[in-house]
Amino acid sequence: MDGYIIGTIIKAILILAIISALAGFGTYLERKVLAFMQRRLGPMHVGPYGLLQILADGIKLFTKEDFIPSHANRLIFMIAPAITAATAFIALAAVPLLPEFTIFGVKVRPIVADLNIGILFVLGMMAAGLYGPLLAGLAQHNKWGLLGAARTAVQFLSYEVVTGLAILAPIMMVGSLSLIDFNNYQTGGIGSWLIWKQPLAFILFMIAGYAETNRTPFDLLEHEAEVVSGYATEYSGMRWGMFFIGEYTNMITIGFLASLVFLGGFNPWGFIPGGLAIILKVSFLFFLMLWIRAAWPHVRPDQLMWLCWKVLMPLAVINVTLTGLVMMV
Amino acid sequence: MSLEQFKNRNVGTQNYVMLDLGKEPANNWEKFKQVVRRSVKLELFTGLKVTFREMIKALFMGEMHTVKYPFEKLPIAPRYRAIHEMKRLLESGHYRCIGCGLCEKICIANCIRMDTRYDENQRKEVSEYTINFGRCIFCGYCAEVCPELAIVHGGRYEVSSEQRASFALFEDMLTPIDKLTEQKEYPGFGAVSPDADKKIKKTPLAY
Amino acid sequence: MSKNEITITIDGKECRTTEGEYVLNVARANGIFIPAICYLTRCSPTLACRLCLVEADGKRVYACNAKAKEGMEIVTTTEEILEERRAIMEVYDVNHPLQCGVCDQHGECELQNYTLELAVDSQHYAIADTKRETKNWSSVLHYDAGLCIVCERCVTVCKDMIGDSALKTGPRGGEALDKSYKETMPKDAYAMWNKLQKSIIVPSNGTEHTNCSDCGECTAVCPVGALTERDFVYKANPWELKEVPATCAHCSSGCHLYYETRFTSIDDPSERIFRVKNEWNFQSLCGAGRFGYDYENRDVSKDPEAFAQAVEALKKAETIRFSSMITNEEAKMLQTLKEERGVRLVNPEVRPFQRFLAAYAKAAGRSLYPDDYKTIMKECDFVVSVGAALRNDNPNARYAFNNVQKMNKGAGFYFHPVGDTLVPTFGKSVECFTHRPGDEEYALYLLLDLFADRQKLPSEVAEYLESFHETRTKKVVEKVMKTVTETVVDEETGEEKEVSKKVPETVEKEVEYDHNLLVERLGGDAENFAELFEKMNKKKESYALIVGEDLYGHPRRENLARLVALVEEACGMKVAMIPPKSNALGVALICDLDDEAHGYTVGYNQPGDFVLSALGDGDLDMPAMNQQEGTMTTMNKRVVPTNAALEYGGYELNDLMNALGLGERLTVDWTAKLPVDKGFQAVAFDDLEDGFANDGTELRGYALAQIAVEKEDALPEKAEGIEWSTEAIAYRCNPQRQFNDFTDKAHQIFEPFALYASPARAEELGEKVEVRFEGGGSLLLDVAVDERMEGPIVEIPDFKAAADVYGLFGPYRYANVTIKKV
Repeated sequence: MDGYIIGTIIKAILILAIISALAGFGTYLERKVLAFMQRRLGPMHVGPYGLLQILADGIKLFTKEDFIPSHANRLIFMIAPAITAATAFIALAAVPLLPEFTIFGVKVRPIVADLNIGILFVLGMMAAGLYGPLLAGLAQHNKWGLLGAARTAVQFLSYEVVTGLAILAPIMMVGSLSLIDFNNYQTGGIGSWLIWKQPLAFILFMIAGYAETNRTPFDLLEHEAEVVSGYATEYSGMRWGMFFIGEYTNMITIGFLASLVFLGGFNPWGFIPGGLAIILKVSFLFFLMLWIRAAWPHVRPDQLMWLCWKVLMPLAVINVTLTGLVMMV
Repeated sequence: MSLEQFKNRNVGTQNYVMLDLGKEPANNWEKFKQVVRRSVKLELFTGLKVTFREMIKALFMGEMHTVKYPFEKLPIAPRYRAIHEMKRLLESGHYRCIGCGLCEKICIANCIRMDTRYDENQRKEVSEYTINFGRCIFCGYCAEVCPELAIVHGGRYEVSSEQRASFALFEDMLTPIDKLTEQKEYPGFGAVSPDADKKIKKTPLAY
Repeated sequence: MSKNEITITIDGKECRTTEGEYVLNVARANGIFIPAICYLTRCSPTLACRLCLVEADGKRVYACNAKAKEGMEIVTTTEEILEERRAIMEVYDVNHPLQCGVCDQHGECELQNYTLELAVDSQHYAIADTKRETKNWSSVLHYDAGLCIVCERCVTVCKDMIGDSALKTGPRGGEALDKSYKETMPKDAYAMWNKLQKSIIVPSNGTEHTNCSDCGECTAVCPVGALTERDFVYKANPWELKEVPATCAHCSSGCHLYYETRFTSIDDPSERIFRVKNEWNFQSLCGAGRFGYDYENRDVSKDPEAFAQAVEALKKAETIRFSSMITNEEAKMLQTLKEERGVRLVNPEVRPFQRFLAAYAKAAGRSLYPDDYKTIMKECDFVVSVGAALRNDNPNARYAFNNVQKMNKGAGFYFHPVGDTLVPTFGKSVECFTHRPGDEEYALYLLLDLFADRQKLPSEVAEYLESFHETRTKKVVEKVMKTVTETVVDEETGEEKEVSKKVPETVEKEVEYDHNLLVERLGGDAENFAELFEKMNKKKESYALIVGEDLYGHPRRENLARLVALVEEACGMKVAMIPPKSNALGVALICDLDDEAHGYTVGYNQPGDFVLSALGDGDLDMPAMNQQEGTMTTMNKRVVPTNAALEYGGYELNDLMNALGLGERLTVDWTAKLPVDKGFQAVAFDDLEDGFANDGTELRGYALAQIAVEKEDALPEKAEGIEWSTEAIAYRCNPQRQFNDFTDKAHQIFEPFALYASPARAEELGEKVEVRFEGGGSLLLDVAVDERMEGPIVEIPDFKAAADVYGLFGPYRYANVTIKKV
């Protein structure tokens, strides 16, 4: 039992460290990919190919003044970014990141907590992340912040429905809520990937995932031209940075979820071992997010709602119904 | 005048070209059909294709647009108006400025001042000349009005300084005497037009 | 001078004018443009430029030279006239250096203007250029012959207005014109060019340097950049200068001028006066006005400590001693101090004038002298000057005297004890009387004798005048033709013949004549005076008398005032006085002056126990006249506004008045409070106009009103001379361009504070002398030569207030002195 606690703590710390580092690296990647797609160079001057730009940005964020507006609700204002970051990381606890492996004779399961309701926990935690932007926007005594908070509530809550309904169909097929069970369901090579059985669910899940991680084309929460910086308007320094880390962590989480649920998880993929396979899949999904940001314009709030309630939600319901019917037959 | 006319804000001649955008969907069914059509035709992926293509071009085909500015510089246009230069006469090396004060007069930012005096050779000597670059808007009028092609715009456009108003004195702008041979004429505002000779009437001379 | 009102038509516009006026002046007065370069209003036509060619009743005439006649029809432009004018401008542009860029006239150059106006866009004529040297004619005049177009305006103004006649045209040494031009060119253009190619302007005394009063009027009238002020050459461009209309404060002429200011240099952004400009068609300046501009009190800031001390000083002051270089407003403030606090006001410059004016008012029944110098210049043809050192005292009086001789074919008498070689050169009919000091009464009696209508004279005076006439005989040399008979031997025949021839012979004859003892007393040639006067007085219609400062302090000033009033009444003479200093007339009218100072004295630009000074050397700084706005009273009896040309950061007199609880919000708020019972008007400063109308009418300020005074019925007494005991007599008189401490401060005026003497007298005196006054006190002075003085009397200037020359002389300008070589 002691080993389990120590192991869990070590795993938690490792995930925290690696994922937050990856989140930082994600910003670098985003800048680079966007630059290349616009035939620019991106960051070049700090370190080789601008690699140390993350470090420089980090130093900047840490040393910047922690600014709190005079009429803000200080406590909530200060807590809000932590909620975003914390929920993002907590969500990762139930996600098996890699296949089991043995190191120094110790068998390691790269999952902090193998819950039997893993997927529910992840979705629930990500939904709880809504409180971060919402409280931040309400606490900062700023009209842009308020608008940002309102948009947060509308967008996150609406797409929560789509995510849930979309993933319901695979859950029905797998018959478990544990992500490891999902992984094990798809052991039979590419052909056994759930994406082939549930293509619509995959598409709906991806769209909803983009909306929930506040990515283009659904980045309405802090759309500059309309609401300045939305819920983050009054934030600076590391508090603002924590929103960022939360967002990038969520992106990674969505990447893992999509890989595990639809794309065969960490099962070996031909000659590619399972660990590398999932990393490649997550990387591609991450890259896809950046790619889409470079290519597509974003939608209007009314289009967003229209899409959610009139298109995606009915489709998801139909999908669930059809899946149920097929399974009954 | 009717209200309709007031509301018409399309002033000027309206030579607009209307793009053929097709028909707007009239009802929900048509809207739905449009969504389906667009989804099936995968129009969205055209955007992804274009950006990916550009990335490949930039990374592997040497079509990167970025100029690494402080290390690389683009050539500037010959008529570009940057920091002023004062020219010298190529024959004697004497500065060309005669102190007529036209640049001072025409300067709309009022940033040029000069001190002149009667010198030992019974000529007008420019004892000091300044341009307040904190005020200068680089309009080029001074170069245009100069009768001697003495004040021109040079190519030095990096003009940030630690002081809000930086002054340039006569010496700073004058071609250094040892670089006289490298002095180039400015082809921009105020330069002699190539067909200048055709435009003047000749005055008879009794010599 | 006929004054018939007539009507002529210029380009279809009907113009009212007087007969005999030049057509060009009529056109200008009515706003009709006729090009002309060489003509100056108030001077004689030069006919050098020939641009003002017009058609009068179908004939070609020069507008500057043609006199208006009733019903004349003038056409200013026809095809041929335009062609002629264009050709003339083309000729002016031949070889004119293309250095407009550096020329000081650039932008206000008449050559530029007319070249454009007459659309000269190409050149058809050419001639080899002649090298012409740039010269400095004097300490202030700079002549660039290369730029000169020989319009002769400088020559004309110097002769007709200033009276120095210091310039003339000289040979240029240029090539002769190509003969072929004579056929091909318009006639007037050829004639003008022919003359232009031969001449250049040179000093008339044959040297490299002019011997003149350095008034700089020639630089003002020069249409091109040829004649400029030496100090201004290449310093600034005319368009950068800000023009501030103002009134010159140096003497009582109160000339209208423009101070032209600009930032000093790149290093020094503070405003500075660069030069002085004037409306030279209507107003001529003197050297002090033109060059004595930089007397401002610079870099003054408010010093509350000194201000508090000044307030204290004014509170305990028993006397305020001030110079007359103050505005009417300041004079009114001082008068208010007198009325409210019982301070004595002392101004030795003005006090004698005020008393003389009072005496005159009583005798004439009017508060002021009736005429002014503008009228004299325009209308009179016989001017008499009594008691004024015309050359030194007041430039405008001198210009008027000279202009009458030149323009009105006038004549003049000049009565003054100090001999002057310039005044006789003003005209052929100028007679100078170098009389004994104090004999001005005799001069006035002579005027009565010569000009008075005997009917109007009181019988006592008429009898008294008779007593000066004696019938004497004189020897006259006559030419008589005499018949002489000679015996001539014929060489061929050997015969003797008697031939009678008429041979001229001079014969001395004794003739009876009317010997005028007055003329004799005044040092004139009594024997030939009658004939001389007859010649001078021929065709004269309008007479004028200029009364100078000598009379004001004269011991018998009351009698002199009565005589002046009688001359005015009995001779029909126009009388104008010369107020002694800047605003003397204003001060005399506004302030009740006291004779003696006593107790604690506050000096305003004058020595005192506490000194308020605009010179920057006193206990509290005051603004100089070019830093103040306010009004001045000129000798033409106008109250004219002046404006501040330069900034002043310190306290003004009004601030002191405010501290004493007597002030107004602004200095100019006093303008409307000037005493109406003395002839002023209750007009606000901002409502005063400034400048001249097109026809030269002075629009500046307003004219003082004459106030009727109760006339006293007293006859002038008989003349009495003054006894002069010692061998030397000193005359209080400033050099030409010095008037006060302020002119002395100006950097272009450097006439020293010295004893001025004629060349012969100066040689006697050596280099340095001590002048001891009869009434006590002495001065140690260098001896300076005034080339134009004659006689033994020496002149001692009073422009330095610190030297207290007024205290040494007393009210009268002449004093018995002993002069010792040092």
